[in-house]
Amino acid sequence: MFHNRAEAYALALPAAVFAAIVFLVPVGLLLSEGLHGPGGWSLSAYVQFFSEPLNQKIFLRTLKLGLMVTATAAVIGYATAYAIVSMPAGTKGRMIGLVVLPMMISPVARTYAWIVILGRTGIVNEALKFVGLTDAPIRFLFTETAVFLGLLQLFLPLMIISLVSALENLPKDAVPAARILGANWLQVFVKIILPLTREGLIVGGTLVFTGSLTAYITPAILGGSKVLMLETLLYQQVTVASNFPAASVIAFLLIAMSFSANILLRRIATARSGK
Amino acid sequence: MTRNILAPLTLGLVLLFLIGPFIIIVAASFSAGETLAFPPQGFSFKWIAKVFTVESFRQSFGTSLFLAIGGTLAALILGIPAAYAMSRYRLPGAETVRFMVSLPIVVPGIVVGLALLRYFVIPAGVPILLALFLAHTALILPYAVRVVSASLANLRSDMEEAAVILGASRIGAFVRVVLPNIRGGILAAFILGFVTSFNQVPVSLFLSGPGVRTLPIDMLGYMEIVFDPSIAALSSLLAFLSIGIVLLAERFLGFSRYV
Amino acid sequence: MKWHTVLSSAMALTLGVGGAAQAQEKTLTISVYAFAQDEYNQILYKPFEEKCGCKLVVETGNSVERLAKMEANKAAPVVDMAVISTTDALQASRAGLIDTIDTSKLSNYGKLYDIAKDPNGDGKSVGYTFYATSIVYRTDKMKITSWADLLKPEYASHVAWPNITTNQGPPALFMLGTALGQTAPDLKAPIAAIADKKDDIVTFYVKSSQLVQLMQQEEIWAAPIGRFSWAPFAKLDLPLGWATPKEGQTGGMNVMVLTKGGKNRDLALQFMDYWLSTEVQTKIAEAMIDSPANAEVKVSDAVANNITYGEDTAKNLKLIPAAVALDNRDAWLAEWNAKVGQ
Repeated sequence: MFHNRAEAYALALPAAVFAAIVFLVPVGLLLSEGLHGPGGWSLSAYVQFFSEPLNQKIFLRTLKLGLMVTATAAVIGYATAYAIVSMPAGTKGRMIGLVVLPMMISPVARTYAWIVILGRTGIVNEALKFVGLTDAPIRFLFTETAVFLGLLQLFLPLMIISLVSALENLPKDAVPAARILGANWLQVFVKIILPLTREGLIVGGTLVFTGSLTAYITPAILGGSKVLMLETLLYQQVTVASNFPAASVIAFLLIAMSFSANILLRRIATARSGK
Repeated sequence: MTRNILAPLTLGLVLLFLIGPFIIIVAASFSAGETLAFPPQGFSFKWIAKVFTVESFRQSFGTSLFLAIGGTLAALILGIPAAYAMSRYRLPGAETVRFMVSLPIVVPGIVVGLALLRYFVIPAGVPILLALFLAHTALILPYAVRVVSASLANLRSDMEEAAVILGASRIGAFVRVVLPNIRGGILAAFILGFVTSFNQVPVSLFLSGPGVRTLPIDMLGYMEIVFDPSIAALSSLLAFLSIGIVLLAERFLGFSRYV
Repeated sequence: MKWHTVLSSAMALTLGVGGAAQAQEKTLTISVYAFAQDEYNQILYKPFEEKCGCKLVVETGNSVERLAKMEANKAAPVVDMAVISTTDALQASRAGLIDTIDTSKLSNYGKLYDIAKDPNGDGKSVGYTFYATSIVYRTDKMKITSWADLLKPEYASHVAWPNITTNQGPPALFMLGTALGQTAPDLKAPIAAIADKKDDIVTFYVKSSQLVQLMQQEEIWAAPIGRFSWAPFAKLDLPLGWATPKEGQTGGMNVMVLTKGGKNRDLALQFMDYWLSTEVQTKIAEAMIDSPANAEVKVSDAVANNITYGEDTAKNLKLIPAAVALDNRDAWLAEWNAKVGQ
């Protein structure tokens, strides 16, 4: 440890000041714009925003999809990460490579691929027809299901990677030992795996949740105007309606949701671990 | 026994879900048809060839390349000292610094883009390209700090303390002892930052102007007009470029240890 | 210190990147619709650059988005000249964003169809193309003789309808209203009719290009579109037709405007004049991009069948006057959001 305080500040401050100027100042100004009413400070923009049933619906939809994607990613993520971690070193590296692979392709193209997959004559419908689960093609495109799948595919890798690094720190014999002592899989997960991997879950969960709040292309292309989300609504308010107070309200909601998710996940993980 | 089947099965299905779209995009790049379809209609190189004839792609590719390289370098120049200060110095307010620097992860990109447009570009006349550069630098900063911090944590601090005691200057110790040892971490941060910036859409959505567009925004705009497989072809080319870079980095530096 | 290094190196790089553009002295910044840029580049931009010895900087996007940008940059205009819809031009005119066009500087002005000369009657816009809006549909799956046919129960779940925010949205609703016997400018009746079927209708599209993909995947069988997006449909290997409903076809016109405070006024006028010339208008028509507004343009029957051609056609289009569209725009959006949006 070095103790020279001036030196420490000289090293750390440029980054902090940069983030403040580029982020805090303009974003703060943008948020304050939603707090101006006709006569000084007021919440009228917020009242106005939430008085529209359509806006309430979009807000709840965004929250719901974000939570569903995060929860699903966590469940699938644990199963996948556990499977990867138990593999021999070489295979493990290759599997991680495959998980990361889709992140190399532009999200624009990745989202478009879903239009082909989910269409009435797409692979999913053909497969369902083949197994006899449906006679008439099911409509997926421009539904919440399509947005959900698109977001999950986009952000699941982040969860898996976070959980793989967390699970690797798990002592090798902890799980078998607990099993021998008679614990069932649920107990093993709650008592051993979850507490020891909570950092990974927090990191992964925050990345997935904020990711699904911020993704613009997926709801724009797979949802369209039938499945508006806060981010597509923000774009519409700015470019079509030039309604900046409403844009400011949406910006605040997005930031607040993302911060709360971060704090909430931290809480849950700490509470479960009994610390 | 069931676990032995269940684990690979889960993994297989997850990989299919993750990689399926990738395969469709690659297949569509070599299609002879006029639209994106799977299985592709026929085989041809015409869409791959077309990518190189679209002039706006060349221009926006240049813009994106500049932002990804310049932004990542700038983020490293800011981020490495900050990470070093937080791991090696007793720094009152370290939490605040960490918080500020990681803000870009929690603040949605579309909000940042709009805020920069409204308060930098329009009233202050900041050129769009500079605004994009600042935004991309800030976006990459958290990754740079995080990855470099992780590699600093793996490096024992007594080496550089010893170097200082033996008469090396603080900067000399950093350059000669620390830097060579965190080289891999810096490269990892560079690749991560590069990919993040290169595929970034929401921040750049509002920050485009005459003659200035990032490649993903240009692709989005192109697709709004023409719906042929050339976007798939361009995406495949870019993906193989990224994969190639990562594989090379892995091969020579053991990149995966740092991510 | 680091901050300065970053900034100054960024500046240096920025200048380096922008250097190529600044090498030539005169630049003209134009703002246009995003489609067919490769063709425009060949037919219009490059030849003009050679002619004037200047550099064109092109901004692309849809009409509403680019108008929002012009409004944001009002104090320091970036764009010299723009092409937008007549409705947006009227809005720009009322907001004081555009200037009167000195038509005496446009040598080709006299050749334009009368309807294109000053569509908004304020002297601030000149039409360069107009288009019909009707329905593209699968002739093997359905029969379209009226705009109301799209909402038949057996068809509605195979239809994409233009969103209210697009240029095609209000005209299509207006025609639907006509088919329902309701021609009130508030469009309440057709919006209610769409709202009844909103769960069946595949999507309320914003970008017409996406429809080509949806048509090819058999996701949709029909959609109201502008004639300018017809060409890619014609390339598909599907039995597709252009409906001639008994209520008639609607459509719209796109106009050129001059930004108030734009620095390169003369160059902008030169560019506009070149775009309106018989030579350029013919080439653009032959590439099946824009229908000509220049009456001297003669095209082959094959081309004429694929674009909206001729003054008679133009006169028969049931257009919504720009003032009506503008005065009702907010009310339409509110009505649409309340009924169809949720």
